Amino acid sequence: MVRKSRGAVKAFKWTYLALVLAFLYVPIAVMIALSFNASVSRAEWTGFTFDWYAKLFESDAILAALEVTIEVALAATAVSTVLGTLGAIGMHAMKKGWASLLLNLSYLPMTTPDIVTGVSLMLMFIFMKIPLGKGTMLMAHIAFDTPYVLFAVMPRLKQMNPNLYEAALDLGCHPLKALYKVILPEILPGVVTGALLAFTMSLDDFVISYFTSSTDQNLSMVVYSAARRGVEPTMYALSTLMFLVILALLLIVNRRSSLEKM
Amino acid sequence: MVQDTRLIELKGISKSFDDTQVLHSIDLYIRKCEFITLLGPSGCGKTTLLRIIGGFETPDEGQVLFEGADMANVPPYRRRINTVFQKYALFSHLNVFDNIAFGLNLKTPEALGVKTRRQKREEIARRVGRMLKLVKMEGYEKRSIDQLSGGQQQRIAIARALVNEPEVLLLDEPLGALDLKLRKEMQVELKAMQQQLGITFIYVTHDQEEALTMSDTVVVLNGGRIQQIGEPKRIYDEPKNAFVADFIGESNILSGIMREDCLVEMLGVEFQCVDEGFAKDEPVDVVVRPEDVMIVGEDVGMLTGTVESVIFKGVHYEMMVNTGAMRWKVHSTTMQPAGSRVGMSIVPFNIHIMRKEA
Amino acid sequence: MKRSWYAAPYAVWMALFTIVPLLLVCYYAFTTRSGAFTTENLTRIFDYAPVLFDSLRLALYCTALCLLIGYPAAYFMASRDMSRSQSLAVLILLPMWMNFLLRTYAMMTLFENNGVLNTLFEALGLPRQQMIGTEGAVLVGMVYNFLPFMVLPIYTVLKKLDPRVIEAAEDLGANPVRVVTRVVLPMSVPGIVSGITMVFMPAVTTFAISRLMSSGMIYLMGDMIEEFYITMNNRNVGSAMSLVMMVLILISIGFLRKADPEGQGGGLW
Repeated sequence: MVRKSRGAVKAFKWTYLALVLAFLYVPIAVMIALSFNASVSRAEWTGFTFDWYAKLFESDAILAALEVTIEVALAATAVSTVLGTLGAIGMHAMKKGWASLLLNLSYLPMTTPDIVTGVSLMLMFIFMKIPLGKGTMLMAHIAFDTPYVLFAVMPRLKQMNPNLYEAALDLGCHPLKALYKVILPEILPGVVTGALLAFTMSLDDFVISYFTSSTDQNLSMVVYSAARRGVEPTMYALSTLMFLVILALLLIVNRRSSLEKM
Repeated sequence: MVQDTRLIELKGISKSFDDTQVLHSIDLYIRKCEFITLLGPSGCGKTTLLRIIGGFETPDEGQVLFEGADMANVPPYRRRINTVFQKYALFSHLNVFDNIAFGLNLKTPEALGVKTRRQKREEIARRVGRMLKLVKMEGYEKRSIDQLSGGQQQRIAIARALVNEPEVLLLDEPLGALDLKLRKEMQVELKAMQQQLGITFIYVTHDQEEALTMSDTVVVLNGGRIQQIGEPKRIYDEPKNAFVADFIGESNILSGIMREDCLVEMLGVEFQCVDEGFAKDEPVDVVVRPEDVMIVGEDVGMLTGTVESVIFKGVHYEMMVNTGAMRWKVHSTTMQPAGSRVGMSIVPFNIHIMRKEA
Repeated sequence: MKRSWYAAPYAVWMALFTIVPLLLVCYYAFTTRSGAFTTENLTRIFDYAPVLFDSLRLALYCTALCLLIGYPAAYFMASRDMSRSQSLAVLILLPMWMNFLLRTYAMMTLFENNGVLNTLFEALGLPRQQMIGTEGAVLVGMVYNFLPFMVLPIYTVLKKLDPRVIEAAEDLGANPVRVVTRVVLPMSVPGIVSGITMVFMPAVTTFAISRLMSSGMIYLMGDMIEEFYITMNNRNVGSAMSLVMMVLILISIGFLRKADPEGQGGGLW
């Protein structure tokens, strides 16, 4: 019985997975298609157009949000890459007890629901009387980005021969110099992956930004407020662009990390 | 040749990791140009001791003196000591040349005896070339580390350390990852290199044969304590206690009682021996090497027994002989078939008496 | 300087931006606007018991659906005869990193009254449906967003499963159904546990999905917290709610940890 139906079993598996894939991607595909639809209505296709994309770049609000998004993402990536990489190196050299304490602390923002992270940070900024804007958004982004960098760098450090650093010292290297001459080149692939991941997460974030900034909006926040008002084709165009950028970044990250595992 | 000056002195070195004490008040001196081996089973503290000499660990108690000066505040990168690490620890982002040149690149031109940066580059190239020749790896400059075999990586690791002209080279189980044949070849080469360069080697291994082959002095460690220090032959022939006897080579270890000077009773039989200075009727450990047991006729043997098993070992046969009270391991070039009755005798010189461990 | 000190800025930053804010949530939860101690914020949550109940119920439905759909998907992806499953796995798992808001927005486009699905129904001669605003729509939005979070940990565990174990079971006379029920399923428990955590947690705390998929008709805990903080500007009650939600989540994680003590289900990676 098993042999004969093997082909059928395989076909069933493929069909099932294809359906799951369709469930996940058809809505996105439809939205991308609609972003090129000349009609404002979702109900009919009246021709192909780039108008909505053109409108996107005419809107001051969207351009401002784009600027905020990229500024925050770049700055958050830079800071969290440095913090996270140094953190990983330090934790790697630490005694077990302290390291596991710090590791648990790093898991905390990943296991806390986004909304709680968002409101708690908002509370703190209000408590410290820092106006909610680009600056607070940036600080919040650094807070949730840094663990991603840390967790991308840690495995590289663990794989590294523990004697490498000592070998550099042994050959006359000053500890700080050994850090960038030996350790950094060893863990660089992890650092780059971590930075890419941090950048993606920052571009991608909505909930935490929503709570930690009120004067400045990022792109996700623009989409949210527009979506609450109803559907708008320019938003389809904006979403499409964001999807494509994020997808490309994710594929690069994924490729990097699967190459590393080999 | 080993000189009499004491290059490194360890005084009362103790070290613990999280509640477990790995070194108990170690005293040891290392002479100039000596090939000294720290030998012991895993966990005996030999690597920790080496790392303390290298400056990678600080002792909880005790001092490390280098030519009489305390090294406590000298970091690894300022010690005139270089290390060949376990699994080599080569820098995989650098090629062979840059790995070897790593230490030299960190030096000022003056330290290399030249004036300009350009001369420094040339000097480095010259020294790296010389090292590659020493380790028989000429022509490999541009290779990446991943392209090398284990044995080749080993050679590069040695060259990388030696190019800095250290006074002492520390080697942490450097041959551990190589296969048997390559290991034997490298043993000979390492010993030759040490003699040619005239520097001190401190070598860590758990392989007793390796230790005996290469060293001027062997330090046997167990449980964080020095068991015995001595020349290889002395350690082999006169193990100080049952642990050393058992760890170095194969041996028959049994309990005995010293009846008087040069007379020990074991298994109910009195044997002549050459040891003196024990109390009358003091219980002792007796060690007899398998190759020191002579098979003789059943009627003339000091002990008699039945051959239980015979294994051919290449040069000799290894036989287990049961005398009723004990099974003896015997090495002999002539074979006695299993089941046959044999006599055994041991000459006084080959009976090693050791005080019982407390 | 010891190398462990390199972690100092990280440790300080993380403490400042995770622990301090969470402590502030606790502080606000137990104080009045003027700063006096009170438990009133917490008792006020009971007024909203139905909302709490709805959130839990929908999150449970969502988790169950994700498990039901996700387990077979993970199992098929990990099975040996799916030679090309590596890239398939990437495709199925990728959306978990993609902006959930955008994806919800895409789903909303399909479900709207004038949306794509209704257009399709009309073309097929079926009556138009009011979908946005129903619990069903919210649930679809949630499952759509959180399904990959269920698939990933189960897939990871199944992929690591030694195929020889399955062969051994077959060798010992287990038929395909038995192989699944007696060997594969029990061995993938850590993945299931991890998947349940990773779906339940965001599901019970979501606010934007319910808001968009119901045009604000269905009101969940997340929406309530948002409203108290942003619209009503009452951070004390909002904090009390956040606190209750955190405690609920910690309790459920605690329960789940018992089923997977070694945490083999893996984290986000």
